[in-house]
Amino acid sequence: MATRIINLCYRKIIDANAAGIWEQLVFNDTYTEFLMQAQYYNQEKKYTSLAQLVLHVPDAERLHFLVSAACIEYLQQLNERIPDIYNILGNKFLNFKSFHFEIINSDITQRSAHQVAINFYSEPLIWHDSIGSYLLVSQKDAKQPELTDLVKLVPFLSINSLKIIP
Amino acid sequence: MERKKFLRSLMIGAFSAPIIIDACSKVEGTTDTATTSGTPGTGASGSASGCNLAPTETEGPFPTKVPASYVRPDITNGRTGYALSIKITIGNSNSNCAAISGAIVDIWHCDAEGNYSEYGGSGMQSTDYQSLHFLRGRQTTDANGLVTFTSIFPGWYSGRATHIHVHVYNASGTSLKVTQIAFPEVTGSAVLAVNGYAKGMTGYTYNAKDNVFSDDTAGIEVATVTGSTTAGFALTMNISVPA
Repeated sequence: MATRIINLCYRKIIDANAAGIWEQLVFNDTYTEFLMQAQYYNQEKKYTSLAQLVLHVPDAERLHFLVSAACIEYLQQLNERIPDIYNILGNKFLNFKSFHFEIINSDITQRSAHQVAINFYSEPLIWHDSIGSYLLVSQKDAKQPELTDLVKLVPFLSINSLKIIP
Repeated sequence: MERKKFLRSLMIGAFSAPIIIDACSKVEGTTDTATTSGTPGTGASGSASGCNLAPTETEGPFPTKVPASYVRPDITNGRTGYALSIKITIGNSNSNCAAISGAIVDIWHCDAEGNYSEYGGSGMQSTDYQSLHFLRGRQTTDANGLVTFTSIFPGWYSGRATHIHVHVYNASGTSLKVTQIAFPEVTGSAVLAVNGYAKGMTGYTYNAKDNVFSDDTAGIEVATVTGSTTAGFALTMNISVPA
């Protein structure tokens, strides 16, 4: 039987309504960093929103990357464990080494408009089977016997890549 | 059941059908929500699943406030090149260049090959967090207006003379000045000693032809750079900003 190797992507959206302490820290610090970095691309103070900057100012797309520095130390606090996603037993179980940070919206005049996404990419998993609406997965490099997890694909959690090994 | 009663029950059924359908759709909706809510959720603020099964886990990790990863004196991040210490003193141009303490100074420059740290073409980033923003740093000026960075001597890329970008903010993060530091090119200068690393100097843009520095005939933007390829280089620069 073919082996299916997948990795999952969890897109965590953080906005002004974020309730958790970690989320609030990320929200506040990425907004502060946006305010600082945006000034470089807005030296004539003509624009207020990220969308305007990206539309009118060359290289303003770099703001995603430049602002990401404000969340990196917070990512380290997660100890390579993807937040919010639990197996059927209620345990976090997905490990990540890769991520991608993006600013969805922001505005230098409106803090509440600030919204960011952190995409967490899980380490490779073997997708053995599907049981009901759950995926039966195990860590790709697991030793025998393979310990498995059951996880459901909920909104903002998707299969990011699939590799079939015959 | 009498026929009349049976018909009446059908009538009621017909009249109540929309209500039943409506109720069904509501039940379906509830079922959907229940399905979603039964799933230990995404927890994303503004996520589609509002009601999540509370996971039972050991508390933690405990988040603490941390500065942006730019804040560090050594911005090398494993980039190889000739060592360069960068000392920048920030003065107030509105006050006889008196030192400004507590100013935030961002610097960034390219590596030996002439590349900046930035997102590549792929959407995914390595977890090597510390090297993601290589050769970019942030320090706050001391009582003498001084910030110090440890880095490598920048390389060059087509169309530009060797340079370091500088963005000076006041303590609350308001931009005071965006500028660049140029390097001396005289005989014996560091630029000539480094000789463009592996690239050499063919096609190099000197300050006089550089679109940023060419108008700086007084050399205000040119730093003092001492040292050698063996001992490393030391750059010192005074930048006056309106504060």
